[in-house]
Amino acid sequence: MLDQIKEHVMNLKTKGASYVDTRWYPFEESNSLVMWNGNLKDANYSRESGIGVRVLYKGAWGFSASSDTSDLTGLYNKAFDNAQIAAKRVSLPVRLAEKDDIQASFSSPNCINPMEVPLSDKVAFLKQIDNQLNQPGVFQRIALLHFIRKQIIFIDSEGSEIEKQITEVFAEISVLGQDEQGETHKRSYNLGQEGTDTRGWESIDPQLFSENAERIVAELNQILVAEPCPKDDRAVILLPGIMFLQTHETIGHALELDRILGYELAYAGGSFVTLDDFGRLRYGSEKLTARANATLLNSPGSFGYDDDGIPCQDNVLIDKGILVGAITGRQMVEEANAKAHRQIFNGSSGANRATSFYRVPIERMTNINIDPGADGNLDDIIAGTEKGLVMDGDRSWSIGSNREQFHFATEIAWLVENGQKTQVVKNPTYKGNTLEFWNSLSAVGDKSTWKLEFVSNCGKGQPNQIMQLGHGVPVCRFENVRVGE
Amino acid sequence: MAENNYKDRILDTLQTLRKYALKKAAPQEIEIGLHYHEEDSYLMRFANSAISLNTNEHLIRLDIAAYQGKKRASYELITNLSKVADMEHGIDTAIELVKHAQPLNYQPTIPVYAETFSDESCYDPDLAQISNAERLAFFNQAVAGLETDEIKSSGIFSSGSSISAMIYTTSENTQFFRLSDAQVTPVLAHSGLKWEVIAEGSAQQKTDLDAIKLNKDLKTLITHYLDDIPQQLPLGKYDIIFGSAAIADMVNMMNYIGFNGGLMKRGYSFLSEAQAGKKVVSDKFTLRDDPTQRETFPFRRDFYGLPRDNFPIFEQGVFHGFTWMQDDADEFNAQPTGHTVSHKSLALSGGEQDTPATLQELIAMPRERDLLYIPYLHYMNIVNPSKGVITASSRFGALLLRQDGSVGIPYNVRLTQSLLNVFGEKVAWLSHQTVPYNTSMSYGKRNPTAVIVPTFMRVNDLEISHSNPSY
Repeated sequence: MLDQIKEHVMNLKTKGASYVDTRWYPFEESNSLVMWNGNLKDANYSRESGIGVRVLYKGAWGFSASSDTSDLTGLYNKAFDNAQIAAKRVSLPVRLAEKDDIQASFSSPNCINPMEVPLSDKVAFLKQIDNQLNQPGVFQRIALLHFIRKQIIFIDSEGSEIEKQITEVFAEISVLGQDEQGETHKRSYNLGQEGTDTRGWESIDPQLFSENAERIVAELNQILVAEPCPKDDRAVILLPGIMFLQTHETIGHALELDRILGYELAYAGGSFVTLDDFGRLRYGSEKLTARANATLLNSPGSFGYDDDGIPCQDNVLIDKGILVGAITGRQMVEEANAKAHRQIFNGSSGANRATSFYRVPIERMTNINIDPGADGNLDDIIAGTEKGLVMDGDRSWSIGSNREQFHFATEIAWLVENGQKTQVVKNPTYKGNTLEFWNSLSAVGDKSTWKLEFVSNCGKGQPNQIMQLGHGVPVCRFENVRVGE
Repeated sequence: MAENNYKDRILDTLQTLRKYALKKAAPQEIEIGLHYHEEDSYLMRFANSAISLNTNEHLIRLDIAAYQGKKRASYELITNLSKVADMEHGIDTAIELVKHAQPLNYQPTIPVYAETFSDESCYDPDLAQISNAERLAFFNQAVAGLETDEIKSSGIFSSGSSISAMIYTTSENTQFFRLSDAQVTPVLAHSGLKWEVIAEGSAQQKTDLDAIKLNKDLKTLITHYLDDIPQQLPLGKYDIIFGSAAIADMVNMMNYIGFNGGLMKRGYSFLSEAQAGKKVVSDKFTLRDDPTQRETFPFRRDFYGLPRDNFPIFEQGVFHGFTWMQDDADEFNAQPTGHTVSHKSLALSGGEQDTPATLQELIAMPRERDLLYIPYLHYMNIVNPSKGVITASSRFGALLLRQDGSVGIPYNVRLTQSLLNVFGEKVAWLSHQTVPYNTSMSYGKRNPTAVIVPTFMRVNDLEISHSNPSY
């Protein structure tokens, strides 16, 4: 099969394609289990395989994919035909940044393959957690597990051959309750990188889930009797359970270079960032240093090599508040440099990924992280806050099409008065303008507050793609934020 | 997918697999369901006045459900019709899975198809097989004369066809659905100022495609965006005209956190069982699930074999009742309403005769107050499901239609409102004319979806909660 793929890739080169690559998925397995109020509502396995072919011809992309590998000639011809038609409407011919040809392999670090764990063990784990969540005040209880395992073989016409074995593990528990007014409230816990450097079944630690089950039930019961969130301007202290989403929506998506260059204007949206801003824009206060680090162990945002065949990297995006980098692939860095008439980017940052063999790679977040700061632990930050709100848990998020303004709701918040965390409030929300918000960053927690959160379902692109990634974030405080609307 | 006997080949394969399943599963008192899905998808994507991607995917999936008493499990594979052995292995896997599943605390219904049902009435081979050259020509016509060095076109022409076929070991009868669809969204965006305007088309048949209308709507918006002065709107209350995209998005959200019986029981609804039969929104609001409307890519049977006909949800503001999928009905002892389908066929009725039918008519319409036109709501999310509170930002061509007949260009604004408020007593009118608005979001299997909504809806005195100083 591999030899046939290489032969077809080179055949298209001889037909006039300037670049050809193939991602062959010998298999991709997925297993999802959902237990809802004690009922195993979903126990699903899936398996797929197939090939995606990307062709660059006269500066335009064509792509074709099929689960049927019996007619490779037809598949490659279709991809080539698609590129030939696309070449009839080209404004700036696609060029790809230089890269080395790479022969390599990558395997997500894991000890126990989650696909080989018996279903009965997984169900037993869910049942145990469900029993623990079944407490007074809890109206709905949900526990879910999701595992992905896939093999990807990447071949391109520049001589690269890369094999990847990717393993993903996601787990979440949630409880819902209804207050006296009949309003539903939620508290949840998502598995992040909780001290394990591997990404197999072993990262599902029953003790960890047990502790968090107890915590979220207790916090839900506090929410159910809480007063409403005040509506005013105050400091917000974001815990990692919402800080990751703030980073995701207002740094991650805003710095995807395809968005900046207008490739998502018809759907996901653009970005307020312009090419002129790199190296100049004060994105946030001096306390803000953000990076795209795809080299972290045990994260869905670490994958060895992207789908351009570029090795994973650790790049600074925002350096002490100044915008310096973006989330990039081979095509977009060339186009950005050409349009800016200066060398903003020195090669791809290795962030071009596709969600499956039947989707084309686009710029996706890796691990978009905020560096820990020097403002102490959570208690220290609270102690230094006169009037604020500590917020946690993502309940709702909405953001403008150019990522310029946002409105978030969280699951829980605690009032802070004169340096003390006091009572819980319900239905907490906050909103703001992206640049104004990040420039109001007044405290960044130390390493003890930093947590790598996982995201299993980031949507982008047409055709739509769901991607997995991570965010390593500390506790952060922002000043004069409108809450409660 | 175009060959004449292809349907027979699919159904024959399902019958073969059913026989295998009966042989392997029946002795263990296990029932098997087989859902076949095939898609032929084409997408031409445009950006920066070029084709940024031209792609097609041909995918066949088989979803195998296994039931044993109160236990249930499923296995899905990507396959093709020649791989019968792989599909049989999938059945073996599902049988093994269900043995280790956890019993539900209710008895799940297993479909028993009383008759064979086939519906290809919403399949148009001319649309399904539209060529690359035709897609490009259509898009070129839609944006003709409107692109400049600064105004770049982007958007998609997505088209294709899908087949859903299903059989259970409980009966040799089958269900077969074949659909064709297209979604076209040309966008024009100013590369420096960062505004975007859009025109959208949805097609179930090739003759539904209308590039001239898209061009006309884009031209109208472009003219205003080039000539009229942009402004940051003061916060406060506005009389808002929502366009079809915004209305459809809110109706879809209502489908999620409003009248879905299962979600209501789980606490994700702003409606309650006590409200059935009572007036809860404007008497101008009549919403049905109407699978007789071909533009909605309808299913006339649900996946449990229940016939699907016109189902009232709201009649002149009175809430008729919740929709129930079979599994939710089983769990909560409710009556299934034929809503175990990939999507409903929601249709919001039009209003009075003397209302604008087109964007040009809306702009020309005499008005007693300033009106804020919001065609599209971006990134809608639920702030509080119990109160029906959603939040979203305007996008793609908002206009300030001033009382004196002039037009202004508002920077984007945010609405944070309860759907009960938006569709409540503040509704002034809905357009008489309705349009199908394509809401397809094919994250997995191709599942063309459209909601029929009035072209415009006016709601008075709605507050905007945020106003941008730029686009």
